Amino acid sequence: MTSEAGAPDLSSTIWPQVDRALSGISVEPEMGVLDLIVRIPKDEVVRGLRALKRAEDLNFDYLRCLTAIDWEDQGIDVVYHLYSTTKKHNLTVKTTLPNTDLTVDTATTVWRAANWLERETAEMFGVRFNGHPDPRTLLMPEDMDDTFPLRKDHPLQDIKLIQGEGIAFPEEQE
Amino acid sequence: MTSILLPASHEFETQDIFVNMGPQHPSTHGVFRMVLEIDGEVVRDVLPYIGYLHRGAEKLCETMDYRQGIGFMDRTEYLAAFNAELSYVMAVEALAGIDVPERAQWIRMILCELNRLSSHFMFLGAFGVDVGVLGTSFTYAFRERENIFDLFEEICGDRMMYAYFRVGGLAWEVTDNFVTRVNQVLGMARQGIADLDGLLTQNEIFQARTRGIGHIPAADAIDWGMSGPSLRASGVALDVRRDEPYLFYPQVKFDVITGTNGDVYDRYLCRLREMHESIKIVEQCLQNLQPGPIVPERMSRLLRTPPGEVYIRTEAPRGEYGVYMVSNGGNRPWRCKVRSACLSNLQALRDMTVGHYVSDAVLILGSIDIVLSEVDR
Amino acid sequence: MTTAEFLGIEMPVLLEAFIKVNIVVLAMTVVVMGLIYGERKIIGRFQMRMGPTRTGPFGILQSIADAIKLVGKEDLRPRGADPWIFELSIYFIFVPVFVGFVVVPFAIGWEIRALELGLLYLLATSSVSGLGFAFAGWASDNRYAMLGGLRAVAQGVAYEIPLVVTLLAVAMLSSSLNLGEIMAGQASVPNIVWQPLGFIMFYIAMLAELNRAPFDIAVGESETAGGPHIEFSGIRWSMFQLAEYAHLWIMSIVGSAIFLGGSAWPFGEELGTGYQLLLMGVKSAILIFIAMWTRASMPRLRIDQLMGFAWKVLMPLAFAQVLINGFVIVYDLPLVLLTVQGVAGIALLNWAIQRAVARPAGRPGMAAWAGTSEAATS
Repeated sequence: MTSEAGAPDLSSTIWPQVDRALSGISVEPEMGVLDLIVRIPKDEVVRGLRALKRAEDLNFDYLRCLTAIDWEDQGIDVVYHLYSTTKKHNLTVKTTLPNTDLTVDTATTVWRAANWLERETAEMFGVRFNGHPDPRTLLMPEDMDDTFPLRKDHPLQDIKLIQGEGIAFPEEQE
Repeated sequence: MTSILLPASHEFETQDIFVNMGPQHPSTHGVFRMVLEIDGEVVRDVLPYIGYLHRGAEKLCETMDYRQGIGFMDRTEYLAAFNAELSYVMAVEALAGIDVPERAQWIRMILCELNRLSSHFMFLGAFGVDVGVLGTSFTYAFRERENIFDLFEEICGDRMMYAYFRVGGLAWEVTDNFVTRVNQVLGMARQGIADLDGLLTQNEIFQARTRGIGHIPAADAIDWGMSGPSLRASGVALDVRRDEPYLFYPQVKFDVITGTNGDVYDRYLCRLREMHESIKIVEQCLQNLQPGPIVPERMSRLLRTPPGEVYIRTEAPRGEYGVYMVSNGGNRPWRCKVRSACLSNLQALRDMTVGHYVSDAVLILGSIDIVLSEVDR
Repeated sequence: MTTAEFLGIEMPVLLEAFIKVNIVVLAMTVVVMGLIYGERKIIGRFQMRMGPTRTGPFGILQSIADAIKLVGKEDLRPRGADPWIFELSIYFIFVPVFVGFVVVPFAIGWEIRALELGLLYLLATSSVSGLGFAFAGWASDNRYAMLGGLRAVAQGVAYEIPLVVTLLAVAMLSSSLNLGEIMAGQASVPNIVWQPLGFIMFYIAMLAELNRAPFDIAVGESETAGGPHIEFSGIRWSMFQLAEYAHLWIMSIVGSAIFLGGSAWPFGEELGTGYQLLLMGVKSAILIFIAMWTRASMPRLRIDQLMGFAWKVLMPLAFAQVLINGFVIVYDLPLVLLTVQGVAGIALLNWAIQRAVARPAGRPGMAAWAGTSEAATS
């Protein structure tokens, strides 16, 4: 179901408008099961998102979801699901972060909705969002900043071993 | 001592106090915690804390077969478990390319709308308690909710955690008297809505308490990613059932209820009116319900999906419930992200609350209708 | 030593007073238990539940079981609490209520002492209990308690004035402050006929004085989680409960004595004392029932609405009532004018309420809000 840029099946989608809005940014389109997916390099992703929001014929003013996928050796994908409340179309934006540099600029400057979603992604995957206004943990304990539960290398059964120290009551630690 | 009367220019040194509400406060609807900075009775700042109910449903889904994940979805959204299951099974069906028989889809629609009714009843009851009617609204609402749950129990043997939707259809056929029972439940629900309407909406104090409180403009609501009745109350007619239809929603007639002011009263009223729409939808579904198979004829014993990804969104009672599923070709999802409507709605809490009285903070939180298990997952 | 007659026996005054006080306190405890049971049962029926059913037939022993449980509970005091004020506060709440019973006329001639300034005495003593709430709220070292205590005081001060002024207006008509005399003077026509507005204002102010719904913001369980009571447990908490229901009882007796003719109307003094007590009981029970009904069906007001209602609506109307009563008495106008004025006043009150409801509230702290960075970015 993947296809290369410029393939004929994308012309019926919103790809031409997206391509115009993202001129100057290297974009790879791909057709997902329901929505168009575009990949933007991580340095340009926030610029691209802002352009997508500002483009009049696209007007992606609604951030549905923001999350990440751990592809183990191939880095971590940060995924943005966009929606336009006026034009009623969807777009998935992806950017790949290499394992050596898990940072990306924050999208809170584009949509405030990204605030908590980025906090969750940061604590679950260890992705750092540069310039985030409130970089605390969201769901995890406040001091849990060295282990990232949704990464694939996070063990399921040995959690007790990792968290045991400092979590138990003082009298139980001896 | 110089003078008892202080000079006019003198200002007392005052200090804001911090009030910690929750996670055990009676009106934080579960284990939500917010720290209010208050100046007298006026809220200066709100700092929400969530995560007390985080159980790692997403991680667990990644370790289990596609079919085993359904049970976790029930637990992420226990007030509208059918809606949560629906998003999950639809995501798997979309990835695997499974066609669902018509009868199964109609029954799914009926159950989802009934679940929306029961969830909104829960909201009305709890919201009445927030406003302060000492549980009367709660018992009124629970009478109807119990009727609906009795019906669910007859169908799938459980009152809250149904696990009745399966990939490709339903677990088993509904009971023989399904149509009669649904009609019966609808009749009682209609009476219950009228009762609650009389108890709350037409009460002067209720109106005085809720009007103009927690106002959020449409542009801000969209920017914060709000959805569902909380967004529609601000006047944005955004309903996944109508805009991006799934199941057989295009074949039934219903109105998308919107408010005008985006205050607590509108959010309440939107939910109340939506319940009538749900009843309308269920009635139309019952007319269209035909005998037939409820699972596809050929289903492989081992469910594998081709590599790909899909983001399925459905309209749950509290807003858009999305499941983003990524497959790498195995028999379990590589990544299963649950997009929670409450989480996004809750982000706007600070925006809505600051500047209002402490008692209104409780109302505003109640009007978002949060379910903490969905926020924390 | 002066002597007095009680139940046909001559005895010293002090002994007579002592016996009467004991009878009243005992009766009050029983009545409070009955009221708690009654409230639970009545509200239960309003909410389509059974209420207590397990203890004794129809659960009538529920209050006794609760009392035993509360006495057996551990008496806790928070570590940060101010020990003296914390423990004194409950006395400041229930002693003023108890001493009010001295002047309450249960039937004609049936009071512990018929003070000439009985009404004044009653109002003066019962308003002290607001102080107790402030003590309890402050001393508990709990922010919910403090919030609740402050609310209770603000509310108590605000509603004290309409309460006093409406009762004063009635006292003008009866030209007496002696509760027994006011009651006996209504043998032919109860005061509610001349003061319908006064009665409604009295009832509203009474509910607020009692911290009962819809004015229970001080103890509202959905906001302050119990308010001043929050840190009290066991026997101390039961004292709160005792004071609350005793206060409800005393106020409804006073209300029915002053406005509904008490045991005097409609049968006058000829009726035997037993029947008079029954009549009084029925009248006060009606007032208590309405208070419970309100509690089961009314949402809670907000602090600014509550204060605004007292200062901007009730107070001008109460003072106007005094003024009009004065005119009618001084110029010897027919009393029917008061009825007409009262009905017009009720219409005015209703109009004021509807107008207030139709006007949505703004953000009181909007100025503070506009200064934050969040508002600037939006």
